[in-house]
Amino acid sequence: MKDPTTVPASEGAEPQDDLITRYKAQSPASEAWRMFRRNIPALAGTVMLAIIVLATLYGTFLYNGDPFDIVWAPHEPPGATADFPLGTDYLGRDLLAGILTGGGPTLAVGAAAAAITMLIGITLGALSGFYGGWVDNLLMRFTEFFQVLPALLFAMVLVTLFSPSLWTIAIAIGVVSWPQTARLTRAEFLKIKELEYVTAARAIGARNKRIIWTVILPNAMPPLIVSATLTIGVAILFEAGLSFLGLGDPNVMSWGLMIGANRDYILDAWWPVTFPGLAIFFTVFSVSLIGDGLNDAFNPKLRER
Amino acid sequence: MALLEIENLNVTFNTRHGKVTALDSVSMHVNAGETLGVVGESGCGKSITALSVMGLIPMPPGRIAGGEIRLNGENLVTASDARMRQLRGAEVAMIFQEPMTSLNPVFTVGDQIAEAIMLHQNVSADRAFKDAVALLDRVGIPSPDSRARNYPHQLSGGMRQRVMIAMAVSCRPKVLIADEPTTALDVTVQAQIFDLLNEIQRDFGAAIIMITHDMGAISEMADRVAVMYAGRVIEEARADDVLDTPQHPYARGLISCIPALGKDDTELREIPGVVPPLHMLGAGCAFADRCDYAQERCRREKPALVNHGHHPAACHAVEEGRI
Repeated sequence: MKDPTTVPASEGAEPQDDLITRYKAQSPASEAWRMFRRNIPALAGTVMLAIIVLATLYGTFLYNGDPFDIVWAPHEPPGATADFPLGTDYLGRDLLAGILTGGGPTLAVGAAAAAITMLIGITLGALSGFYGGWVDNLLMRFTEFFQVLPALLFAMVLVTLFSPSLWTIAIAIGVVSWPQTARLTRAEFLKIKELEYVTAARAIGARNKRIIWTVILPNAMPPLIVSATLTIGVAILFEAGLSFLGLGDPNVMSWGLMIGANRDYILDAWWPVTFPGLAIFFTVFSVSLIGDGLNDAFNPKLRER
Repeated sequence: MALLEIENLNVTFNTRHGKVTALDSVSMHVNAGETLGVVGESGCGKSITALSVMGLIPMPPGRIAGGEIRLNGENLVTASDARMRQLRGAEVAMIFQEPMTSLNPVFTVGDQIAEAIMLHQNVSADRAFKDAVALLDRVGIPSPDSRARNYPHQLSGGMRQRVMIAMAVSCRPKVLIADEPTTALDVTVQAQIFDLLNEIQRDFGAAIIMITHDMGAISEMADRVAVMYAGRVIEEARADDVLDTPQHPYARGLISCIPALGKDDTELREIPGVVPPLHMLGAGCAFADRCDYAQERCRREKPALVNHGHHPAACHAVEEGRI
């Protein structure tokens, strides 16, 4: 069946107007959103993440408490007192307050690290793929240098060199994770720069800068958005890992820090590590569901399903 | 002086077979308001000629090894990158073969035309978009106001090619290169696009270089024709002359391959053989191996494009009066 909008131009304009309005605004992005909305797991992930974000943003208004204050006896199990529903840790600090206030820094580090990853990865990958030749060679060797460094060890070195704070942790994670994004961006650029609409953009007199950022990059975005989403999840795990090893910012409560601080007493009390662990798990899980959903939504081969 | 003159243009490419000559002393010209048809099989150098004029030959591996391309007397081969960017789109514009893939899928067609306008004219985004809508109207797209807000995938092939034409003529270029503009379209739409190009040419006075392998398109559009084979122009004349009295055996072959309606031909004619790969061209005429009239001299010596009576053709057999 022919697309109803493909009426020969020679025919009158009036009868098609309603068709045109009906087919309006099908930008690739809105088309992807339409697909995403139908994807139940992705939608569940979005709701889950929204709840987590809202809880970390506004939870402390409903449930007030300083996570560093020693408020009760240590290792009070969850449910033992109504005042502290999730119990207390080895110092007698309130776990629920810790989870609610610790989520913000965890998510912020994840998002900031993903942003840094994307910034470095997309810039280097784009230049590498677009210009090719010696630029490509140089940038790719540079990328490989970072790729073969053991990520966690290198991040640990960076964090210990520049005293642990949320920013240094985010930067350290970004610095060790950008090579993948760079390679993905480069691959997309290599593919797209050969397409005819890039030549067509040149033929109307567009300069390289414009072609890179406004012609090729928007078309390379779908896999990059998916990768960025998944990077958030990886960065959160990374932050938790660093904090667990005692390299988190000790002055800011985060989920990783909670697990790290309580890991020695795991045989005596399961809850101080389990609840922040579950928080991390659900956050990363929801982000992964969203990433998968975006991947499906942007993949034209799956559109028809 | 013609508007656009290509003189002895040599283009080479570095390939894994070594350096190959994609264009060998190609000369052609086109005057304002005139349509020059460039015909030939795939790989004969038609598109390379077009890309040379646009300054879009990928370098490396490509290289313009010699010759001149003069637009209003200005040599484009030696022009700076910045100058070429100014000229591209504003003075010389190009319509591509595949309207399906030559529009950027993530922007509306109106935005893309507006962008072309803003690259060369100092106008506001609003003004450019209004101009884009007017251009869409001009190229025969119904309800241009709402169509301008459509994305390429919402338009049919014919409409997309109209959008490409609107974009190409948005800055009133003096030379419009159409690289097989109708190959990807069905026949009725082809006719509409030819009509549109003819109208545009009347209104804007542009010279059109029409690259095609379709003799029907030539008879429909072209005033003059250059026939290309393996990187050389082998025949050049008024379109009627080439169609009625082709000289070069290759041109004769092309014309005789046009299937005629109503004739009792049961088989489609063809020219036996294929274009030789560019890295395997010998010293003689590149067509010799496929030519019924080839003699020893043809394999030894490249024929020059010279008028041997009727109109210029590069063929020893024509020169010697053997055909």
